[in-house]
This record gives sequence, C-alpha cells and structure tokens, in this order.
Amino acid sequence: MDLTLIVVLVIALALFFDFTNGFHDTANAMATPIATGALKPKTAVALAALLNLVGAFLSTEVAKTISGGIIKEGEGGVLITPELIFAGLIGAIVWNMITWLLGLPSSSSHALFGGLIGAALVGAWIASAGNPIDFSVVMSKVILPAILAPLTAGLIAYAATKLAYAITRRYDGKPDGRDGFRHAQIFSSSLVALAHGTNDAQKTMGVITLTLVAAGLQPAGSDVYWWVIVTCAVAIALGTYMGGWRIIKTLGTGLTDVKPAQGFAAETATAATILASSHVGFALSTTQVASGSVIGSGLGRRGSKVRWRTAGRIGVGWLLTLPAAGAVGALAALVAHMGVVGIIIDTVVGVGVIVGIFLWSRRNEVSHHNVVSEVAHSGRAVKIKRNPKPKKKVTS
Amino acid sequence: MIDWLAFLLVFVSALIGTVVVVSAYSLGIRLLTVSGRTPIVTPAEFTDAITIVTPAEIKQAEKRAKKAAKKSPLTDGQKRAALVGAWACFAVSGFAVLVGIYLIVGDHLIKIFS
Repeated sequence: MDLTLIVVLVIALALFFDFTNGFHDTANAMATPIATGALKPKTAVALAALLNLVGAFLSTEVAKTISGGIIKEGEGGVLITPELIFAGLIGAIVWNMITWLLGLPSSSSHALFGGLIGAALVGAWIASAGNPIDFSVVMSKVILPAILAPLTAGLIAYAATKLAYAITRRYDGKPDGRDGFRHAQIFSSSLVALAHGTNDAQKTMGVITLTLVAAGLQPAGSDVYWWVIVTCAVAIALGTYMGGWRIIKTLGTGLTDVKPAQGFAAETATAATILASSHVGFALSTTQVASGSVIGSGLGRRGSKVRWRTAGRIGVGWLLTLPAAGAVGALAALVAHMGVVGIIIDTVVGVGVIVGIFLWSRRNEVSHHNVVSEVAHSGRAVKIKRNPKPKKKVTS
Repeated sequence: MIDWLAFLLVFVSALIGTVVVVSAYSLGIRLLTVSGRTPIVTPAEFTDAITIVTPAEIKQAEKRAKKAAKKSPLTDGQKRAALVGAWACFAVSGFAVLVGIYLIVGDHLIKIFS
C-alpha cells in the first residue's frame, strides 16, 4: 500500500482517537465543580476545552516516552511499520468505544498502549524477530505509574481533605465559610484541565511522531513537529467541548454528594499528581488519577466508608484495559498483515464498530450506563453518613 | 531499570504542592470567617446533582453569618488583621500554583519563546 496514504490514514485515526479521548475525559476535570455548583456546566465545559488546548502546548515529555521508548524501533529492534501503528490504534479505539458503551471503567491511555503493544508483538512474531517491546520501559513508565498514580492521588487527596476540613472546622456551630471553596474550585478544576492537556494530548502526538519516524519522514529521536502539536491540541479541545454537552444534558445521575472543600482538595491533588507525572514523562491515565482523588477525598470526610465492591469493579476495569486492547490490537495487526485487503478490512470493521456504537448510544442516550463518567462513578465507592456530629466537644 | 526515585519525586512534589495550596486556601477561609466576612457562595447553577437552595435560605445563611460576626469578641483592629491575613493566604495559595506550573513547564516555555 502507498506509504503516504497509510501515514495519512494513521494520522487521521490518531486525531480521531485524540478527539474521543477529550470527549471521554471532560468529566475528569469538570465533574466535581459542576457537582458542587462551583461553575455553570456550560462555562465549565468551555473552560475545560480552552485549557486543554493551552495545556497541549506546555510539554512534550510524555510524547517522547511514547515515540522514543516503549517500542524498540530501528536497529536491534523490530521494524515498526505504519500498518502496525494503524492496527494498534484500531485496537485502542474499538476497546475505548466498547467500554464506553458498556459503562466499564477504562482508560483511554491504557487502551492506546495496549493496542500498540499488542500490534507490535504480532508484528515481531510475523517477522520472527526478537521481542519488540522494551518491557522495562513499559513497566517503569506505563504499568507502575498506572498502579501508583491513583494511589498517590488518593493519598494526597485524603490528606488534603482532612487538612481543609480541620483548618475550617468550628466547634461552636457558627458558619464555617466552607462555601468559599467554590471559588477555589474554579481554579483547581481549571488546573486539572490544563494538566490533562499536558498529559493526554501528548499521547497522540507521540503516536503521530512514531508513525512519521516509522515511515522515514522524520529522523528518530527528533522533537515533535509543531503542526503535530497544533492539530493534536485542537483535536483534544474539540473533543472536550463536544463531550461536554453530553455531561450537561445528563449530569446528576451518578454523582454522589461532593462538598466544595472536598472537591477542591480532590482537584488540587489530581492536578498536582498529573503535572508532576507529565514532568517526568509518566504517561498515566488522567481518568484513574481523578478517580483515585475522588475516592481519597471522600474517605477524608468524617463518617465515610469504602464500598469495596464498587472500588473493586473499578480496579478490575483498570487492570483489564491493557491486555484487552492489546488483544484487539493484535487481531487488527494480524488482519493488517494481509496487505491492502487487510487494511481495508480493518478500516471497515473499525469504522463499522464506531458508527454502530455511536448510533446505538443515540438510541438510549440517557441510561446511566453510558453517561456516568468513571470519575463520577468512583464517588460511589465511598459511603458517607449525612452530617455526622464532630467528635470533639466545645471546651469553654 | 525502574526509576523509583522518579516515583518518589512525583509523590513528594505533588504532596507538598497540594498541602501548601489547600492549607493556605483553607487558612484564608478560616481567617475570612474570623474577620466577620463569612463567604456565602451559592451554586452557580442547580443541576440535578445539587439540592436547590431557595433565596430565602440564602438570606437566612447570610443573616446567621452576620449574627455570628456581631458576636465576635475580636476588636476591629484584630478583625482587620484577620482580613489582611486571609488575603495573604489566598495570595500564597495562588502563588504556589504559579510556581508549580513554572517549575514544570518553565523550561519548555522558555524554549518555545526563545
């Protein structure tokens, strides 16, 4: 198949993935401020889109992790072809759409890595080359961050919530002014959206750069091209904006009781964790970090308890994503190996799944399966008694 | 080779950043309340998830806050000091965010604009 054509196809697919990523993740930044009423939903969504756009320009560390670390390209490794990346993307998108439809907690980022890894493994197997995946990089930059980041965010959010409540608590029953955290939430949720741009938009940039390197259109190890940055930034911002309308229409079905102080603590913890991770090039899932924070901050409130069943379900969904997307990616790579026919089959099946799921979701738009975001859902993992009394008595 | 130091770095820096921002802001709110200006911020829009607060209830909350402020044993000077402290805390919180962003993306921005 013509090389330029497949490159164009891969870039289009990657940008579509970027769009779905934004679409899927608006809620990460904006679920909590909308839930506490810190921002009007319309304002929140517009703000999220704008800040994602800005955030995409702020860093390229994560893009470098993807384009230059995980898959050993060039000498000594496998020859990663645009066809394989194409197959990996199909795997990621299909798995993303399926989980979105089923309401399974998932992560766009892990779907992407899973798909790419699955496709690369098949590619190596066909070429009977050695192991194409640098598993130590996968372990240290993808899998471990995936496990540790939500825990980090959860712990920090827990501590921050405790602090926020302790500092503002009044034992004399006078107004405590915690409403004021609503103002702070405007800033903290904006920061989350910005952080999202620094991490998630990078992933697509990394994939496109990987493709350009694989096609020989860009020297290996060079910086991300500016037009790649711009298109990725626009795609994710557009996705975020479009995704927001879904939230506006249907918000409220899954959100638990989030208080301004708690929301502020959770958002700050999320933003800090993502920004710090972006800085060292960890490609983590923003969804998982935000979920970890929501659970952690819920636990930081008095009288809260974990609903382990719900928390377990979320955890299983996270673990499943990488291998499942890998399987779809591997399958797509096998088909793509058949040549032009294979690519056409992949495209047709991929587009079919996307259109099918989209139409299906239109049909029953307002069921709680497809509208409750994972972040909102993770709030259910914590049970909070209504207004428990402070333990300490007033000492006069 | 797994870079454990990087994980530790992420954890510690995120923890410090969050603790500084959240405690400074919380302290600001506390001081604002002490100074007799309890913030009453109602939700911007009542989505399905938020229990509606009626205007009467808002008025009531404001009244309660005023009453509590009147009973405050602090002198006017102390109240003023608390107000200044509150704004100083908010400034620290905001500044910490800016410093954090700069530390993370500063190099990159300098590279872009130079």
